[in-house]
Amino acid sequence: MRHSMKLELGTFPVRDVVHGRVNSYLNGVLEIDKRGLEAAILQDGRISKVDMEIAKPGESCRITKIHDALQPMVKVEGQGTCYPGVCGRPVATVGTGRTHRLGGITVMELAEMPMYEGYDSPVEDFVDMSGPAAELSPLSETINIGLRLVPDKGLSILDQNEATHSAALLVSDTLAGLVRSLEPPIEEVFELPACDPALPRAVYITCIRSSEHYSASVYAFWTAIYGLTRLTPPWLLHPNELLDGAISAGSPYHGPAATSWVYANNPVVKEMYRLHGRELAFAGVIAIRTRWSAQFEKDITSNQAAKLAQMAGASGAVVTWDAGGNDFMETIRTVQACEKLGIKTVFLTGEDSPESGGPPLLEPLPEADAIVSTGFGGHANRSRAPLPKVERIVGFETIAENIMLPKEQVSAREGTQYFRGRDVYGFTPLSAHDY
Amino acid sequence: MAKEIERAGIPVAVISALYSLALTTGAPRVVRGARIEHVCGNPRLSAEKDRDYGMRIIMTALKSLQTNVTGPTLFDPEVEMAGMAV
Repeated sequence: MRHSMKLELGTFPVRDVVHGRVNSYLNGVLEIDKRGLEAAILQDGRISKVDMEIAKPGESCRITKIHDALQPMVKVEGQGTCYPGVCGRPVATVGTGRTHRLGGITVMELAEMPMYEGYDSPVEDFVDMSGPAAELSPLSETINIGLRLVPDKGLSILDQNEATHSAALLVSDTLAGLVRSLEPPIEEVFELPACDPALPRAVYITCIRSSEHYSASVYAFWTAIYGLTRLTPPWLLHPNELLDGAISAGSPYHGPAATSWVYANNPVVKEMYRLHGRELAFAGVIAIRTRWSAQFEKDITSNQAAKLAQMAGASGAVVTWDAGGNDFMETIRTVQACEKLGIKTVFLTGEDSPESGGPPLLEPLPEADAIVSTGFGGHANRSRAPLPKVERIVGFETIAENIMLPKEQVSAREGTQYFRGRDVYGFTPLSAHDY
Repeated sequence: MAKEIERAGIPVAVISALYSLALTTGAPRVVRGARIEHVCGNPRLSAEKDRDYGMRIIMTALKSLQTNVTGPTLFDPEVEMAGMAV
């Protein structure tokens, strides 16, 4: 990437969140005016009910029906808006200028509804703030401001989803706005200056599911790139665009690992930045959409992703993906296509449980010869570790007994026989041992 | 499943929209299908042409069953049934 894109990122760490009469940030303590924020949300006639609750690390607390977790951040200087494109926000290219963030907290969008028309089960993601399931998610280590949202059920599913996401963005924008004009305790500059040409150039390829094919809707609400959720050809992005929320809005099934917070704090991006100019030259981010429904479309996606990597001068690529079986095909074939062009790949992935009797990867192609495993915690129906009882629920009182069967709801407080945790981005200690 | 049935001595043809996966997982005879949503048809065609399209896929599958293969083999209806009148 020859042109320069510079992002100054100011972070304001939050060590506590307390209720108060006004919204304020002072010396690491975020005070929030619960009634004022709830009233602001209810100004939007699409929302019928809202209740805001705070969940802190270590509490005996389970947050349920998580649609998304937002990293509160605001553009202070330069063009664009953080989380561009979603819910009608401007689509100007982000990644330059100056952004301020609140560190260590999220705004969580909690709602009991599906993500698209024709799918009648609610979205099922949860986070435990303590206990054995806590370490499965980085969001057990953040202070989470949970918004239990009930939209007008007379609206279409799409409009309900847009309404609840708009409400979460409103709170995120309001809280981040508190630090707009303050001096940040932590300053970082993200840019990719020219470096030693002898260093190997490497891209990050992130594979992101689109719901277009199986929701039969080009408008279903799901993980978006600049607001677009459709199946689109591969994108070449600057890593700063991810830091500003160009990939955002949560998606169910993937576990809490694929929320807006995760994309804005992606450890692969941060590590490749850290290594830029030292061990490699970070050549950019390629985002591909997965879950095309015909072979030739999958092949185009993989071939074009590899071609973009080659045009970016890459001799190496780190590849991550979200989830799925169908989605695995574009992903593994992108690995294969890169290797065929001489681009060495490292593939960060969970595995299928050995109890299935099948191979650890759906299609274990020989080109995928460097894999970092994040374990096989993705299989709720096989991991069989019980989810314990908790004292408090933030969100909704029921939870899917098994995330693969979301219609079967049980008491969230009591826990279930099953849980799964998927972390394909490398936040948590999840891994696999070879015996 | 295809491999197990084949092992019992019964030839199997797998019609698949995602035929590369069927091939790498070792299915002996793989017939190229259309899409996940409509493996043996194409709703964008007229009813008559859709029937012909589906027939070419089915006939290719039946033809493949009469063909000895030594490993995973792809049968393409557009090649196998080129010019077929149905």
